[in-house]
Amino acid sequence: MPTVVRCWRCQDEHIPQVFCPACEALQPLPPDIDYFTVFGLARDPVLDEQALANTYYDLSRQLHPDLHQTGTAEEQEASLQNTAVLNRAYRTLRDPVQRGQYWLELNGEQLGKENNKVPPDLALLVFEVQEQLAAVREAQSAGTDDARAGLKSELTQVWDDLDDRMQGLQQKLAANFSKWRQADDASDLLSGLKRVLSEMAYLRTLTRDVEKALSIF
Amino acid sequence: MERIVGIDLGTTNSLIAYVDDAGPQVIADNETGQKTLPSIVSFLPNDRVVVGREAGELARTQPLSTIRSVKRFMGLGMEHVSAEDRQRYRFVDDQGDTSSLVRFAIHDRQVTPPEVSAVILRALRDRAEAALQEEVRKVVITVPAYFNDSQRQATKDAGKLAGLEVIRLLNEPTAASLAYGLNTKEEGLIAVYDFGGGTFDVSILRLHTGIFEVLSTNGNTRLGGDDIDQSIAERFLLTELAEELRHDPQVLNSALRATEKAKQVLSDQDETVLNLAVPDKGVQLSRRLSRHEMEAAVDEIVARTLEPCRQALKDAGLETQDIEEVVLVGGSTRMPLVRQRVGEFFGRTPLTDIDPDEVVALGAAVQADTLSGRRRDMLLLDVVPLSLGIETMGGVMSHLIERNTTIPASVKEMFTTAVDDQTAVAVHVLQGERELVQDCRSLARFSIPIEPKPAGVPRVEVTFMIDANGILNVSATDLRTGLERSLEVKPSYGLTDEEVERLLEESIDFAEEDIEQRLLIEARTEADTVLHAADKALRQNAAFLQEGEEEQIDQVVQKVREACAGEDYDLIRDLTEELSQVTTPFAQRIMDSSIQEALGEKQLSDL
Repeated sequence: MPTVVRCWRCQDEHIPQVFCPACEALQPLPPDIDYFTVFGLARDPVLDEQALANTYYDLSRQLHPDLHQTGTAEEQEASLQNTAVLNRAYRTLRDPVQRGQYWLELNGEQLGKENNKVPPDLALLVFEVQEQLAAVREAQSAGTDDARAGLKSELTQVWDDLDDRMQGLQQKLAANFSKWRQADDASDLLSGLKRVLSEMAYLRTLTRDVEKALSIF
Repeated sequence: MERIVGIDLGTTNSLIAYVDDAGPQVIADNETGQKTLPSIVSFLPNDRVVVGREAGELARTQPLSTIRSVKRFMGLGMEHVSAEDRQRYRFVDDQGDTSSLVRFAIHDRQVTPPEVSAVILRALRDRAEAALQEEVRKVVITVPAYFNDSQRQATKDAGKLAGLEVIRLLNEPTAASLAYGLNTKEEGLIAVYDFGGGTFDVSILRLHTGIFEVLSTNGNTRLGGDDIDQSIAERFLLTELAEELRHDPQVLNSALRATEKAKQVLSDQDETVLNLAVPDKGVQLSRRLSRHEMEAAVDEIVARTLEPCRQALKDAGLETQDIEEVVLVGGSTRMPLVRQRVGEFFGRTPLTDIDPDEVVALGAAVQADTLSGRRRDMLLLDVVPLSLGIETMGGVMSHLIERNTTIPASVKEMFTTAVDDQTAVAVHVLQGERELVQDCRSLARFSIPIEPKPAGVPRVEVTFMIDANGILNVSATDLRTGLERSLEVKPSYGLTDEEVERLLEESIDFAEEDIEQRLLIEARTEADTVLHAADKALRQNAAFLQEGEEEQIDQVVQKVREACAGEDYDLIRDLTEELSQVTTPFAQRIMDSSIQEALGEKQLSDL
């Protein structure tokens, strides 16, 4: 049920929107607004990323503090807060992994603690990468230049592999989302989605660790 | 609509610009016609200050009370002051533990970097008011994109101390892209490489129908042309001097000026002569320097700008070939070596259509025009350069807002208590990319007041908001009562509000009136020293003179004497320099001769 809000300027009552339909004053967005609603989208994890970007630019043009500098204190504050919400919403929705996780949260599901567990499909890979990272740490203190160079190329290879795997998962995620949209009963698809998302989240952490190790060479 | 002007508060030079019907314009000084104001402030013993070129002249004799490149010290603590800094200036070290903010010790005063910057800002404001014939109060000031929260806050404080209302702090590379965007109106991905006097920034932007979206930024706020000068001076001049002279502030200052000049000449020529003359200290050095030698010496510094470029591209998720245009900004990009390295890195010839010294000020004026409500066709979407976080258990930094997040950005964090009847929760705010608190920059500390309740019951939500200036604001709400809690945020490296107020009351006046006289006296003194040395050398070492040389020297000596009788200190200075140069071959011959060992020193004035 959409709640009704009151314009700070003309007291008009309306459902939450960026500009008051009566007096066109900039309105603060409700604090609990969900990110899909900010963009005027249905709560659907499958979205057109280019259209999302265009909407983001359009909304920025309406909301950004730079364009409300001459407004009242209320308008300046609303502009600042709304743009902060818009920026956070865009950052979350443009990234498939964050979007998926956010969508799960909206649907009362969370990756939550499973996030810390190594997904079974990744167990072997994680073990190998951790070993290599340990070797890098050792070489840093004791190893020869040759050993370091060797490790560097190995690590670069690892990074490439992780990257390939991530791309594969992204396709899988997109496919899962589409299936979810078409299915009448989505409950069995949910667990599949969660698995892919948690794999992606884990892979991302692993990639970051490898990048950190690579940056010291 | 009240006019807002744009200010480029640079390490080496500062400029002020505005927009009129013809587009953005830099405002030149009414009297001299100069567009750049050297960012140099000299403090006189009588509580007066001198700014700009005249201050630069004073630096020759009063290096300790003349601050150059103050931007390098903005928002820093004493622990960031380097050994080189300590050779050039005196600092107030004994501050107890109340604040470790950098303070210069000048005469019997303490002067903070924002106060020094405020002097520059006031001079720019006066220049604008004289040109525009109206009061100027509202400004946009540019800052390096990689400036952290403390450095930005310090810049804002400087504006306040200058009696200005800082409407916006604008990132320099972004400002530059605005100035270029006006000309090209292109869509696509661009990289802005901004290598100035003291700072380096790189920003990657996406241009899209009037929107300038910064995808990522990186840099180094302590890397610039100053480091290049320092490196050349050390390598080619200071090594020639006795140990104690190398650390003499006056010699150091002259060596850096000589180097700066040679560096500029070598942007257009293949070879120059490095001249170092400090008659007071008996220093007279001269050596040839080729562009090749200089480039070999500074290549390492230029190379250090490429890693941030790599990181910025990576953060933007792009490869070098994705970049369609590379824009060069900042005085250091005049160096052919820099252009070459940047060209090689991005695989394309960089754009240099707009004067790299003016482009930032012009962009600031354009943004000022937008902020004043006169223009709505362009919009900047900028980012925060460094991750923001808080200290958690075990001295680990927990990120709240990641670097390269579009600003304004906000995040809410819930705090509760760990023990019964706890009355406050302490929060330590940090900025940086490293995991451990000790490796990040401490920004501020604050404490959330809590009503005494059993552990875990209080629920206070703290909002961390990075505003459009890239500056952090925090607010707290008690979720049980819905009431806002006031927070007292104590900056780690900044002036407190009370301090800003006090400084505003005590603010120092400008003095232009006796500077002319002072410069004249100094020019005459310096001329006397060089005349005396030349005279002595001619008398005692006439054997080393070549055909016609004595006449040539005599002529210049005569000209210097005539100039000294007049009041034109610039003329005296120039002729003194000429005399110094015309006697250099003679002095070198004396040195090169067999008496060199007997003399040991290489200065004309010692002969």
